[in-house]
Amino acid sequence: MKEILDEIVDNVFKKALELKVDDTSIIAVYGIENMARFSNNSITVIDTLNEVAVFLYMIKDGKKVVGTTYSVRKEELDKFVERLFSSMQFVEKSSDITSLPKNVFKYLGKNDYDEKIEKLGEGIVDYCESAINAALSEGAKRVSGTISANVEMCKIRTSGGIEEEDRISYISANIRAFSETNSSGHGLSCSTYLSKFYPEEAGKTAGMFSRESKKVGRWDEGEYDLIISPTVAADIFQMVGISASAFRIDTGTSFFKDCLGKKVAVESLTVEDYGTIEGGFGGRKFDDEGVPTQKNTIIEEGVLKTYLHNTTTAKKYGTTSTGNAGIIAPHPWNIVVNAGDMSVDEMIRECKRAVYVTNNWYTRYQNYMRGEYSTIPRDATFLIENGSIKYAINGTRISDSIPRQLSSIKAIGKERKWIKWWEVEIPVYTPTILVEKTRVTKAQF
Amino acid sequence: MSRKNLDLEIPLYVVKKIEEAGAEYAETRLHTREEIGCILKNGQLEPAIVTYSHGLGVRALFNGTLVFSATNIVNRENAKKLIEETLKKGKTASNLTKNKVKFSRERRLKKKWSALEHQKLVDKSFEDLTKVLRELDNIVLEEKDYIPMRFLELEISVEKKLFTNSQGTYIEGYVPRLYIGGFLTGLKESKSVQKVIEFGGSGGWELITKLNVFEEIRKQVQVIKEILEKGQKTVAGVYDIITGPEVTGIMVHESIGHPFEADRILGREGAQAGESYLKPTDLGRQIGSEEANISDDPTIPGSYGFYLYDDEGVPARKRKLVVNGIVNELLHNRATAREFKTKSNGAARSNKFDREPIVRMANTYVEPGDYTFDELIKDVKRGVLVNSFMEWNIDDIRWNQRYVGHESYLIENGEIKYPLINPVIEVTTERLWSSLDARGKEIQFWAATCGKGDPMQGVPVWAGGPYLRFRNLEVKTR
Repeated sequence: MKEILDEIVDNVFKKALELKVDDTSIIAVYGIENMARFSNNSITVIDTLNEVAVFLYMIKDGKKVVGTTYSVRKEELDKFVERLFSSMQFVEKSSDITSLPKNVFKYLGKNDYDEKIEKLGEGIVDYCESAINAALSEGAKRVSGTISANVEMCKIRTSGGIEEEDRISYISANIRAFSETNSSGHGLSCSTYLSKFYPEEAGKTAGMFSRESKKVGRWDEGEYDLIISPTVAADIFQMVGISASAFRIDTGTSFFKDCLGKKVAVESLTVEDYGTIEGGFGGRKFDDEGVPTQKNTIIEEGVLKTYLHNTTTAKKYGTTSTGNAGIIAPHPWNIVVNAGDMSVDEMIRECKRAVYVTNNWYTRYQNYMRGEYSTIPRDATFLIENGSIKYAINGTRISDSIPRQLSSIKAIGKERKWIKWWEVEIPVYTPTILVEKTRVTKAQF
Repeated sequence: MSRKNLDLEIPLYVVKKIEEAGAEYAETRLHTREEIGCILKNGQLEPAIVTYSHGLGVRALFNGTLVFSATNIVNRENAKKLIEETLKKGKTASNLTKNKVKFSRERRLKKKWSALEHQKLVDKSFEDLTKVLRELDNIVLEEKDYIPMRFLELEISVEKKLFTNSQGTYIEGYVPRLYIGGFLTGLKESKSVQKVIEFGGSGGWELITKLNVFEEIRKQVQVIKEILEKGQKTVAGVYDIITGPEVTGIMVHESIGHPFEADRILGREGAQAGESYLKPTDLGRQIGSEEANISDDPTIPGSYGFYLYDDEGVPARKRKLVVNGIVNELLHNRATAREFKTKSNGAARSNKFDREPIVRMANTYVEPGDYTFDELIKDVKRGVLVNSFMEWNIDDIRWNQRYVGHESYLIENGEIKYPLINPVIEVTTERLWSSLDARGKEIQFWAATCGKGDPMQGVPVWAGGPYLRFRNLEVKTR
């Protein structure tokens, strides 16, 4: 992988310099994804994706272009760079041009890499089998899911003298189990090391929830306290991270506009963004402009401390880059939420009238500035009355606003879990959260 | 942008080698997409964007196990490696493939097709894109006191696919597309309103005119101003609902299109996009009133979801999903068609070389009826007209759904009164389509990108229909 990346980056870099650009940054990423999907206890497809993507950023005379290509042959890459360059004549000059940073950095971050994940090959099928069997042993009748093993190597070279590389590995199991009555449960395991990957446990959890949610009872639309599992909390906290991007502030798609230094959550909440962190697999040690990634405390004890910046947005906001440059907009890498001191059982005992949500999907916003959204609990969802689970409930929808929820957190769980799956794109390390008085609605039937 | 020919040598080699190794079926797709795009953020031009994606996707069936591999290092050496890996995995996984995958036998074809394109997109430059965006931005700026934040983007793309399979089918397709997206934020005192806007189609630069983009943006700007100035709180209750084509489109896409995807009905998307309220035996089930007539048609010229042959080499055709309220036809690929003992109706799509083709919608809509707009509202005593929406969602069997109005009005005694803020419709699929009692004469489509699969793949679609009238639905507030 390394040789291919070295060659590509060198070729593109030389070509860009030949064309006398003022500034350039080249990132090449070699990714291998090894995936097995199954449904109804049977493999449905085995995927192997093997690809190299090249991201190129060029500035000349105040004009900026960015390009992505999946071409890897030298002559094709040369043509791509030439085409990108020639298209610059039609680009308007930009008033917010910022030169790419010079290499004065130390790259201290380190990602996890496990060669066993790289070499897993057809061994992925065994994990499918153990996850399916674990769910069945808990009483499930049908099991669906995905096991996905990924490795990624990337290299950056910029006209600012930056030349760095990084690599990462991760494996995940996303398991859904169904009982004979079609009640369902969800289980997840995400890890950067094979030794900490627990597909059986994910299968067991999914199977257990499918069994435990068979007894279904009635419920009324209204306000409830909400216990949200790490899978659901991750969906909210990924939006907290995304909304901290200065790009989102500028486009009116953030509920953090004009909130710097202000209280945006309960004091017990701290949310951080990490470029590299043990167990995290969403980032790397440098951003798309070559700036070292770092730990950014977005919310510290309830107060919004920073937006996430690249060099352009940082200049506009009179600050320095936070190492979050994406090809256009700054974005978070890995989100980490602080641990609290309560177990899930203690949270349940604490609640008089609450809903316990173990999974969700389809989160959509009516107003991003206000953070007004709704999302649909999926799989096992339980009604809690007077400190204990009464029965499972179906057809629920959470309708609330994130700012209100951040300010209504009553308790934070003590055990955290890495979450990334179909609904959560940014890896989030989060515990279970108890939120007061959330509106839960149902459909007219 | 360029339009070079794709090389057939490697695909044919891969198909031959996989077939020789004992596969029941093998196919390749050499898939190229080139895009250029511009973004204006509050009038400020972001970096111009060029994306070129090119690679080979390979699918094979070994002893009932389906294997998909993809690479963008398309040479003989890498093709060999790809074949070896594909074979090894296919053989290993076949023990755990309890439900053997089989494909329906479809006709062998040799075809070349393309979307109609009058003003070639390959001739357009960033200058052309920026000019259009500036004009659109100026329209929004006319109401800058109401809309202080805006985001506009324009993207043109050409997509080329070369499909071959072990049956000897060879299909070459070409689709140019144009997409304009935007996000407008309206602010006045303590009120704020936001709207996502999307326009898209297949064809050339003429789409800018055909899609009526300037007029539509102007309309959207005025709607935001009107909501901010005159919008009143929604009073919860039971109303007749009139939906505009945009809302009709999202309703039909979510509650009919998705659950009619046969792979979901068979459980194949169980851990991701979910399953369906339909069971395999539900053909002929009553799901709505007699007025519910719903179709999906990839062959509509100029549509965003346009294609003539799908990504399994099967001819595309119109699918009449619901006829007079009754489940009539599902969306099939080769595998689901075989399971349902029928033929594929050409619904397999893939958005990139590294995504397997799966069952997808194309352009899903409610068929037109015979009412004028005035006729639809004239006997509505207490109603809500929901012309457009922002927030929406639906559960993963596609039964329990919600749509929150953006441009919405109170109707009283057949007259439109004033804009309403955030009316919420939250209803089950059967209740919704059973409440439909009249359809407008004219249909209109809206562009969207529909997500499904793992890894996720978004495909361009249209969704739409006429104005619809639903009787006695609950309206809630946010």
